[in-house]
Amino acid sequence: MSQQHESVDLVGDETVKYFTTAVLLAALTAALSQISIPIPGPLPPFSLQPFGMFFAGLLLGPLWGGVALLLYLLVGIAGVPVFSNGNAGLGYVVAGQGTGGFLVGFLVGAVVAGAIAHRSTEPRDLGDISVPVQVGALVAAVAVVYAIGVPWLSMVTGLPLVRAATVMAPYVPLDLVKLAVAVVIVEGGYLASR
Amino acid sequence: MIEVRDLVYRYGDATALDGLSLSIPDGQYCLLVGPNGGGKTTLVRQFNALLTPDSGSVRVDGTDVTADPVTARTRIGMVFQHPRDQFVAATVGADVAFGPENLGLDRGEIDRRVASALAAVDLDGRADARIDALSGGEQARVAIAGALAMEPDYLVLDEPLVGLDWPARQSVLAQLDALAADDTGIVVVTHDLRDLHERADRVVGLSDGRVVLDESPAAALDALSDLGVRDPRC
Amino acid sequence: MLSYRPGSSLAHRLDPRSKLLVQFGLAVAAVAYPTLPGVVAATAVGLTALAAARLSPLAVLRSYRVVVAVLALAPLVAGVALGPPWFRVEPALRSALYVGRVLPILFVSAAYLVSTPVRETRAAVQRLVPGKPGQLLGVGMALVVRLFPLVLADVREVRDAIRARGGERRPVWVRARLLAVRSLSRTLDRSDRLSLALRARCFAWNPTLPALAFARRDYPVALLGVALALSPLARAFPL
Repeated sequence: MSQQHESVDLVGDETVKYFTTAVLLAALTAALSQISIPIPGPLPPFSLQPFGMFFAGLLLGPLWGGVALLLYLLVGIAGVPVFSNGNAGLGYVVAGQGTGGFLVGFLVGAVVAGAIAHRSTEPRDLGDISVPVQVGALVAAVAVVYAIGVPWLSMVTGLPLVRAATVMAPYVPLDLVKLAVAVVIVEGGYLASR
Repeated sequence: MIEVRDLVYRYGDATALDGLSLSIPDGQYCLLVGPNGGGKTTLVRQFNALLTPDSGSVRVDGTDVTADPVTARTRIGMVFQHPRDQFVAATVGADVAFGPENLGLDRGEIDRRVASALAAVDLDGRADARIDALSGGEQARVAIAGALAMEPDYLVLDEPLVGLDWPARQSVLAQLDALAADDTGIVVVTHDLRDLHERADRVVGLSDGRVVLDESPAAALDALSDLGVRDPRC
Repeated sequence: MLSYRPGSSLAHRLDPRSKLLVQFGLAVAAVAYPTLPGVVAATAVGLTALAAARLSPLAVLRSYRVVVAVLALAPLVAGVALGPPWFRVEPALRSALYVGRVLPILFVSAAYLVSTPVRETRAAVQRLVPGKPGQLLGVGMALVVRLFPLVLADVREVRDAIRARGGERRPVWVRARLLAVRSLSRTLDRSDRLSLALRARCFAWNPTLPALAFARRDYPVALLGVALALSPLARAFPL
């Protein structure tokens, strides 16, 4: 009993691979948003959330890296508690406590990092991209997150821009540490071997 | 009939399949045994064109599988080693429906296939259950139902019994018996013949990417220790 | 946190697409009109949405309590001045108005969450976004929902393993690196296995989509969403 399925348009093998990587990096971003490393002193807990953006941009390039973060946002909007502290909903992304811009910033940051590193929608082998270019991609991603997050905070809360920036200032050193950790990961070649 | 001819497959410099040939007739219950790295998993992934050979061919009823992967993947259902990683939905029914949905069948036909596949693995009426809430044995059966919903002629299972407790093991074996009685061809990749050798029609041993054993189960038992497979009689 | 609960309220019976339109429309309108009448109107829409979902506003405030508490600080931060008179009322009121319009956005979003199962949002995305991108995003959402608990368990296991081997004594950046790299490696292994499973099951661009149907009651709701989304135009081009 032979079945005919001529109309079935299979998704190509390469596309399936990029797609499942994007799906898993979306899930990883969601997981890392729930986990933080407690650090002593008055500092906010050390969350690994930005690593989702870093990995998505570097491993998948602008198109699929963007898909990864977009899936993360969509699943949260659909009601799965994937944002920090188990939050969810479109209301949290748009307004929330004013930090929704950082979530959108992660999406744009992944696209920017991917575009700088790969300069093509098709991801290249990371081993062929120089370390300074990869580091530059990560720095740009963090800059983009703040460039979107701070004005967004100002818009939602009615705080003047400078004051919104002051509110976010304590997070800057932590993000610089995260950036440094990501740079060490890149230099160690942990990503290129995948 | 699955016909494998002169199949060569390399991972970089390592040769996984080294000019292997094998035919599996319709309705046969066949065990693929051999040491880890012997090429068992690599071989079965060519049956439905998940891997493309470096040379040689796999044909199902005369058609090269790489030329028509959709037919190969509907005629040969595949169940992988880790059921938890092959589910695509959070609930049983949505997962089992995934294959038929991809074939573009209409909703009524999809619902019929889901119900019949779940009935075949004794999970009738559990379509709305959350997969993560099921036991390991039930998850293994959902994975089988996902493959059966494509209404395949062959079912290929990679180490289906690993990690299952005794009752779960018995229930999976019973499902396979029922499918075999229904003339579905069954290929089980395993390194452990316990409970399987008395059910199968044939044992094929692979080592270093070649067929080194092809016997009836009774005749195969004496040659097993050479393959690093434990004799199930001990 | 609020999540979907089965029910038969009006909100439950609406199509997810019309509900998404209202959410989006209200967010746009509320941001465009940070005025007292604007906030009052938006709040009315928000409370109506809650009533349609048979959800109490207090339950919403409780579930978003951290968000609300942080938001409540914004007017204080806005009012503080670095010299006499030390606190200025005008910017604080402005900020309070801005923050006030966040509540209706949270209300509408909460009404959506409790009345819409994730699979319906997925179906809506698959239909609202045309062609191949919509298909991938729809299936992708279902897969992320399925895999998130597994990956979260992986990351927790990695964290506990690092802790069990005396990771506490290592500096935070070392711990962060180990956690990130090891979690990533497990995640990518899962991706390889998922990729095989999808291909074996004929993952296609043109599958049968989950059923969704606009009913008569959806049209006014969708219209409201569109009207709200376009409301900033009324401000740009006053009649």
